[in-house]
Amino acid sequence: MSREAILKAVKKNKPEVLPLPEIDESAFQEDIDVVKTFKDNLALVGGQVFEITTDAIDAKIKEQYPNKSTIVATTTKSNLGNVEIDKNTDPHTLEHIDLAIVEGELGVSENGAIWITANNSLVRALPFITNDLVIILDKRNICLHMLEAYDNIAKRDRDFGVFISGPSKTADIEQCLVVGAHGAMSLTVLLV
Amino acid sequence: MGHAQKATEFNKDEAKVNWHDKALWYVREKRDKSAHNVQGWEYLRQLGSGIKANVLSNLDKYLIQFETNAKNNGIQVHWASNAEEHNTIINSILEKHNAKKVVKSKSMLTEECHLNPFLESKGIEVVDTDLGERIVQLAEEPPSHIVLPAIHKTKEDVDVLFQEHLNTKPSGGNPEYLVGEARKHLRDKFLNADVAITGVNFAVADTGGVVVCTNEGNADMGVHLAKAHIACMGIEKIIPQEKHLGVFLRLLARSATGQPITTYSSHFNKAEEGKEMHIVIVDNGRTEQLSREDFRASLHCIRCGACMNTCPIYRRSGGHSYDYTIPGPIGSILSPGKDLKKHSSLPFASTLCGSCSNVCPVKINIHEQLYKWRQIIVQEEKQPIVKKSILKTAGVVLSKPKLYKMAGKSARFALKHAPRFMIYNKLNAWGKARDLPEVKHESFDEWYKKRRKNE
Ligand code: SF4
Repeated sequence: MSREAILKAVKKNKPEVLPLPEIDESAFQEDIDVVKTFKDNLALVGGQVFEITTDAIDAKIKEQYPNKSTIVATTTKSNLGNVEIDKNTDPHTLEHIDLAIVEGELGVSENGAIWITANNSLVRALPFITNDLVIILDKRNICLHMLEAYDNIAKRDRDFGVFISGPSKTADIEQCLVVGAHGAMSLTVLLV
Repeated sequence: MGHAQKATEFNKDEAKVNWHDKALWYVREKRDKSAHNVQGWEYLRQLGSGIKANVLSNLDKYLIQFETNAKNNGIQVHWASNAEEHNTIINSILEKHNAKKVVKSKSMLTEECHLNPFLESKGIEVVDTDLGERIVQLAEEPPSHIVLPAIHKTKEDVDVLFQEHLNTKPSGGNPEYLVGEARKHLRDKFLNADVAITGVNFAVADTGGVVVCTNEGNADMGVHLAKAHIACMGIEKIIPQEKHLGVFLRLLARSATGQPITTYSSHFNKAEEGKEMHIVIVDNGRTEQLSREDFRASLHCIRCGACMNTCPIYRRSGGHSYDYTIPGPIGSILSPGKDLKKHSSLPFASTLCGSCSNVCPVKINIHEQLYKWRQIIVQEEKQPIVKKSILKTAGVVLSKPKLYKMAGKSARFALKHAPRFMIYNKLNAWGKARDLPEVKHESFDEWYKKRRKNE
């Protein structure tokens, strides 16, 4: 009943149709080095980033996170995983995961965000519940801004996806920025 | 109690008020810096405003489209005309899952509907999981800001609160320590929750999905661990197409905190296998606001909080002085539509300086709407209310206690010339000391006309 009542009220009270604006993306065009800007913005939001070759991935992760004991890797690009998960893993069992290594699909230069889907992380909770997070990203997949990003992910199977920009953080205590709220305590991005 | 009296309360601790004022101004400055980094920012705002205007003019169709697409993805869609229905629907979903423990992430709508006390009365534990929200929940207070819910609390306040509720050690208000303890405390809540409730930042008509933005990751921790997700949204959260997120996500965080984007922008289109997803679409006065030609643009709001951070009155009176779920300039144009009498002092809690409209990412003409509400209130409400409101608001907030008397002296003048007096030179002189934008040698009418022309 409420459905009909709400829709009826909207119909009665709405203004005359106003056109949906066309988006002129040329207004946002910039001739910049997207990889460099991406790296700068990622640093700004508290992540760290390294540009390396594919064969150096595991060495870099070990160097950055030497003392991790429970590691999930959902990508074949790393061999460091020692906890196996699949789509049916109960996310509650991931409570003590020290480090998760996942692949990102797309980077966004303007804000250092990386698009990750349920496909990349197998279990949706993984990139959030892990203590620390490593994302491997192909640097050819970095776009300029969010409008371009949505063009790029338009043709996907929609279940769950997230743009992650840096480690979790809060400034809720007297505006002091503290990194590591409920999600990952740190984020390292490996550009390959 | 009107805004002025409550503001007086807040102003008793001058050091705290000064801190509050500066902290929010700092956030406003971060917003400026961040916005200036974006090529085509003004065009982006124009798009945001234009898309929202189109949404309102076609809202019934978009809502139906959204519902159809969401249902096709297995999401259960519910409709609630008011707060009571909203709460009842949620309770029935919880009952179905035999849920006793609920985690919630920041949703002003559930605040608006007073969901927590309702569920608590049914024996359900509801935990707000955004740190700021958790702080105010433990303090048994409402949020004082829509993005920074605990901005009125000092770190020492939080320290004491956590000692009492989380058994923390006295730390003198060490933010790292306190956040670490809160993380542990809330992890436990996430891991044991039956159902997660979240708000919605954007609901996309052409995909039937919703987007939730957080910095802490609390929405995701809640949703991905619980067996069911209930997302609550006002009807105005709709945007037509997914690509429009490209406009709104660029605007939202920059306007809110100066970040280029929130840490997590989560896109929920389907429940995870074996789980359930529900969406509750709520009216609760929004269709009525839609009918008011002068005020309907207030429904464009994307809840970034920029108008609060920039408002000289908000910064020096605190969110609680507004006594409405959404405080600040936007709250002052939404609340009279809900209850004109109760909130009649709020449209006067403004200098009409226009700074709110200047920063609003979706270009709501906030200060003009404030002015229009004043005209309505002056006509409809009895004199004493008007008198109290006009006399006290700006005076209390913008002046020091001794200067407040001067504001009182303009009483007779004010009654005659309201609301012109709000930027009467004398008051404005105090305003100047408080960093008010320059409007000094113009009468209100001249200034108002000029502003209109410049738009
Ligand atoms: S009215 Fe505008 S500035 Fe204020 S919270 Fe809403 S969107 Fe932000």
